[in-house]
Amino acid sequence: MLKILIPTLLLIPTSWLAKAKWLWPTTLLHSFIITLFSLAWLKNTSETNWSTLNPYMATDPLSSPLLTLTCWLLPLMILASQNHLAQDPLVRQRIYITLLVTLQLSLIMAFAATELTMFYVMFETTLIPTLILITRWGNQMERLNAGTYFLFYTLASSLPLLITLLALQNKTGTLSLLIIQLLGPIPISPYVNIIWWTTSLLAFLVKMPLYGVHLWLPKAHVEAPIAGSMILAAVLLKLGGYGMMRMMLILSPLAKELCYPFIILALWGVLMTSSICLRQTDLKSLIAYSSVSHMGLVAAAILIQTPWGLTGALILMIAHGLTSSALFCLANTNYERTHSRTMILTRGSQMILPLMATWWLITCLANLALPPLPNLMGELIIISALLGWSWWTIIFTGAGALITATYSLYMYLMTQRGPVPNHMISMNPSHSREHLLLTLHLLPLLLLVFKPTTIWGSAY
Amino acid sequence: MLIRLSRFGLALPRLLSNPQTRFVSQSKPSGATVSPALTELHPVSEKAGHEEVSPFVKNPDYHGFSTDPVVDEWNMRVAFFMGISVALVIGGTFLRYLPDHGMREWARREAERVILQREKEGLPVIDENYYDPNKIILPSAEDK
Repeated sequence: MLKILIPTLLLIPTSWLAKAKWLWPTTLLHSFIITLFSLAWLKNTSETNWSTLNPYMATDPLSSPLLTLTCWLLPLMILASQNHLAQDPLVRQRIYITLLVTLQLSLIMAFAATELTMFYVMFETTLIPTLILITRWGNQMERLNAGTYFLFYTLASSLPLLITLLALQNKTGTLSLLIIQLLGPIPISPYVNIIWWTTSLLAFLVKMPLYGVHLWLPKAHVEAPIAGSMILAAVLLKLGGYGMMRMMLILSPLAKELCYPFIILALWGVLMTSSICLRQTDLKSLIAYSSVSHMGLVAAAILIQTPWGLTGALILMIAHGLTSSALFCLANTNYERTHSRTMILTRGSQMILPLMATWWLITCLANLALPPLPNLMGELIIISALLGWSWWTIIFTGAGALITATYSLYMYLMTQRGPVPNHMISMNPSHSREHLLLTLHLLPLLLLVFKPTTIWGSAY
Repeated sequence: MLIRLSRFGLALPRLLSNPQTRFVSQSKPSGATVSPALTELHPVSEKAGHEEVSPFVKNPDYHGFSTDPVVDEWNMRVAFFMGISVALVIGGTFLRYLPDHGMREWARREAERVILQREKEGLPVIDENYYDPNKIILPSAEDK
């Protein structure tokens, strides 16, 4: 753990002391080295599944794939932002990298925390760098509005969680995940129980986001700079799913019926948000809504609480993290050339950048869960887990999968095919950097096919 | 409130930065995604001609990393070597050959072998009793 945390911390002085010319290569090299060492987390060394650093920090098969994903995202964000920041003054580039590193640091601490208080603090800490990224480096004035939405949705929903955690500490005397899972049901009155269940999960359901409280996400995604969109889609949303899986340990036997409305909302949300995708004009907004739809599936799978559900949720979270991040990178390469996110204005890219069109095709296919990618494995496991729980769910999951395929192809056709608009006369050819960036997103996805147990979580 | 905060955000780097480097544009004037606030602080008009000049004019082997050809090439080498050769190849090999934790893979292989053997012998795939009840010697009622 320390072999990751200390180098990550030292990335901040690196980004301030590196020579102006070599700032980006140095930080890239440094972050890739961290990534390499982070793979060691995936080696499970203990019989209890928990590899501990100290009583407050530990990893287990549930958190280690998410931790590795976090570390993998930092070099990719650095790669993706280079062109975007090339015009900024040097100090601002350094601040930008520092923010990304701070974000990674707090995410690592959040995923590795065993103490729920520390998890809560780190969960909230991730808000600050992300908020600065969105409101400072976003491209339009609406970014301030998006920042407000992003901040207040998360804050308002997570304050009840703080109170719940304090009450739990009072009741049980501990908030350590290692101990709390061994406690029996906590005796509280049924009415308090309902409130307790809701407040424990609300913060994470908003972060996921659940349909109905998802409005902050498309706004934040559309306004955020490329690195902000990438980390938001790839890791920050997963923080919600991860927190739910952790809190469920405590809540499981208490209020079974309470999850019904949330499962209904999640599944209904899969259908609704993927339908919303079909009528989007804004490319980034479409990808954001597709994230909401995928996360709805994950939320439903976590809420039914079967081993298959949890495994499927983790697989889909990792796979979706890489795929949606890749989609945002592709949207950004389009945006950097055309300065527009409107799909109708950026049609026919296949004629201009054929190799990019190949990447678009592969990523769209990954998004619609093409076999044998982990996206499909995750969805299949979730769908069968939900089917085993209640066969009515197949209507929602089946229709959801169908519409997902439809809007992924719609996105591909709208951006890549069709007539080339007249204003797209001089486009830069695609750079090696962008091809590398997409390779680094999609190759891990493909490699996971050969060793799927890496992301199967603790239920395996 | 956030609008005011963002103004502070703009002022801070300005106070910290070296004024000499501040107004000299060293960056390539292309791919500009400049917000209105940014253009107020650093007028784009100071940059060469306000036109999009392709970086490929200066460096035909442009890889998308930097306008300086040397930095561009080295950054490309670092990114490809660390990303592909080290992280994916070495890291992937490491993950592929991790030890079989908890003997799960062994258990699976063994189970398939036992099933084949038992089917060949015409036995039920799994027996109701794990141990043969005849072989278990229980203490007699008087012994206790």
